[in-house]
Amino acid sequence: MGAQLLTFGAAFLGSAVESVEALTIVLAVGLTRGWRAPLLGTLSALGLLALLVGIFGQLIVTRVPELTLKLIIGTLIVLFGLRWLHKAVLRSAGVVAMHDENRAYAETVESLRADHEKTDWIGFTLALKGVFLEGLEVVFIVIAVGGTTGGMGVAVVGGLLAMVVVAGAGVIIRRPLAQVPENTLKYAVGIILTSVGTFWAAEGMGVSWPLDFVSILGLAVLYLVASRVAIALIRRPALA
Amino acid sequence: MRWLRAAASEVIGLFVGDWFQSGVSVAILGAGWLALPRLHVEGVAYVLALALAVQLVLATAAEARRKKA
Repeated sequence: MGAQLLTFGAAFLGSAVESVEALTIVLAVGLTRGWRAPLLGTLSALGLLALLVGIFGQLIVTRVPELTLKLIIGTLIVLFGLRWLHKAVLRSAGVVAMHDENRAYAETVESLRADHEKTDWIGFTLALKGVFLEGLEVVFIVIAVGGTTGGMGVAVVGGLLAMVVVAGAGVIIRRPLAQVPENTLKYAVGIILTSVGTFWAAEGMGVSWPLDFVSILGLAVLYLVASRVAIALIRRPALA
Repeated sequence: MRWLRAAASEVIGLFVGDWFQSGVSVAILGAGWLALPRLHVEGVAYVLALALAVQLVLATAAEARRKKA
């Protein structure tokens, strides 16, 4: 039950963060150039992403031995999670600017206005590219957390539900979801993914954890403390 | 060909922000893969997590220093 909840939570949160970024692009294109082309682009991207989950999810679960799968996916999740955590630390410490959906939206709208005379392939391609690239991260999270826990169905549901919730909110307010605390969410997902990745990588090495799955909580505390230490160190006058 | 290269760099970019930091992370995991199963000590896996956590602190502090220089 705990493992399923974690799988669902990681897939939901990771997918929600990326969906907010994709929604910003689709809204900017749709409100500037009309909805037909960006909606077609979005649907095409979602179709491609579903194909990827179907093919790779099935291949990974059925063809790769469990320990090898845990080691490879664990390593990839550690790298993926550390990358998010690294960025979150630098943003929290004020070294890198916070991601601002309103600014990203305004920049996309501005660049589209300049190109307005060109064909509507631009709207289609921009939406396709934006949704596909942001969606690739969702696909990786869903396959990684679903494939290693054997809860692919739960992970897919978590990812899809997040996309539906974010898209629904976008349809209602017709503005970028700037009030979603994206940086905080990325920080939290970075900690969850790095913890889960470390857990699986070690299991893939043939090492067991004390208290089994509960150790992930201990790992999350360790990475949270490390990231807070990093932020404190960076903010020290010597570095500021 | 250019499209393929761009797609490949996007996929690699999911996992690698800084090649050196990612290399250190893989080296830590590789060393763990070689050493940990031979130690047979309860809780030894936390050493792996601790090494990755220290790496995170050092890498972020180093990048902050570089950006502020």
